[in-house]
Amino acid sequence: MHFVVILIESIIIGGLVGFAAGIGAARMFNAPTVQALGAFRTLGEMNAAQGDPASHFSFGLGFFFNAWASTVGAGAFTQDVTHRVIPNWSAAILLIKNKNLAETMHNPKKMGIMSALIGVVVVTFLNVTSSSIPASLQVTAVKVLVPAATVLINMVMPIIFWLAAIDAGRRSGLFGTVFGGMAALIMGNAVPGVVLGILIGKGVEEIGWTRITRIMLAAVILLFVLSAFFRSFDIQLLKEFGMRAPQWLQSWHNAIGG
Amino acid sequence: MDQDIKDLEHAHSFWYADWSFPLIVGIMSAGVFAGTSMYYNYGVGAFNEVAIVAMLKAGMTGGSYGAAAAFGASFLFARILEGSLVGILDLGGSILTGVGIGIPAILLSMGIEAPVKNFPLALLTGLVIGLIIGAIIYAVRHFTLGQSKATFGADVMMGAGNDTGRFLGPLIILSAVTASIPIGIGATAGAAIFYAWKKPIAGGAIIGAMILGFFFPVKL
Repeated sequence: MHFVVILIESIIIGGLVGFAAGIGAARMFNAPTVQALGAFRTLGEMNAAQGDPASHFSFGLGFFFNAWASTVGAGAFTQDVTHRVIPNWSAAILLIKNKNLAETMHNPKKMGIMSALIGVVVVTFLNVTSSSIPASLQVTAVKVLVPAATVLINMVMPIIFWLAAIDAGRRSGLFGTVFGGMAALIMGNAVPGVVLGILIGKGVEEIGWTRITRIMLAAVILLFVLSAFFRSFDIQLLKEFGMRAPQWLQSWHNAIGG
Repeated sequence: MDQDIKDLEHAHSFWYADWSFPLIVGIMSAGVFAGTSMYYNYGVGAFNEVAIVAMLKAGMTGGSYGAAAAFGASFLFARILEGSLVGILDLGGSILTGVGIGIPAILLSMGIEAPVKNFPLALLTGLVIGLIIGAIIYAVRHFTLGQSKATFGADVMMGAGNDTGRFLGPLIILSAVTASIPIGIGATAGAAIFYAWKKPIAGGAIIGAMILGFFFPVKL
């Protein structure tokens, strides 16, 4: 029963995700005329394979093994399934029959349909095989992957993004540092703050303080305020500065359940 | 030139038009959100990196959903802004992390379990969320298009994002070494073989660690 449920759900999920990933990727080759869904790395890598079916296939295969290991270990597909495996494999299959890029890899209709099929196969395979593996493998994966992942997400990622923000210019460095520190305090991870810092810093650098950048800054500040409130950061802050939270603030928290 | 003509011809068809964008995001979100639902129920199928899924896992195993919620929601917010400005919505940050991890974490932290637990409801919830995100981008795009040529640092973020992936391989080996000596040797050898084959070394390190871990099991 368990197995059948996973099988059926995987087919549905794979079809949906594959279909959207294929259309999104093909539309990238027509951006910015057409709004696309994908990633710059996918665009660059698919161009790098130069329409050679074997290159597309083997590129996808390398990440497929990585995704398989990660799924077996921790139940996580990695983002590579949608970014690399599905688009590259469906491009490879389409290119076997027709070498014209505009009619195959850049065509959202053909990529969408082919990617839906690939998505069903890939997602089902990953889920079904990984839900039936020996326990000793899972323990190994957890022992190895979880500590590595924790360091990556809490230390490495924030530092890389932070240094990138600093190198990108004085404004993004300043906004990145302030928002990064605030995000680490409030949200528990600095990355979102640094990303928003880069966004605003570079935005101001490129177009100045226009209505768009002002609205963005206001929205970011609002995001921080709301996050702080819902994680009870305000109460904790007052407490650690040796002050008591005023009654009205406490009752607000009680009213919302935060 | 041919490309331009083709775009014009197809500008109103589902496959190329801006109006269909929310629908595409909706379909993607439905699948990804349902994937998270499957992870919640069966422990497999989340469309994200181990590290990010681990944040959701922390909440599921009795800890706080705060990290996953704040991380996912902020990424979603940043990527929606960026996506409408540069013409490519980053799938990883917006849908996989935002919709797949952030929104479920927010719902679960508020005690709303049904949309995550129930598969059909998860599909529907994802679809609705995706349609809303797509519609916001559609609106922002039409509101700002032509007003600015700024990239908002998309290149900087993409560069940093790619650099992060490179750190995972060495990190996995370092982590494998602390698990046990056989697993450490397996991870090192696997990474070296993958490097020689010009494949990402993280994959080799994981497979090497798993093979040795199978023959020389460790306790959790």
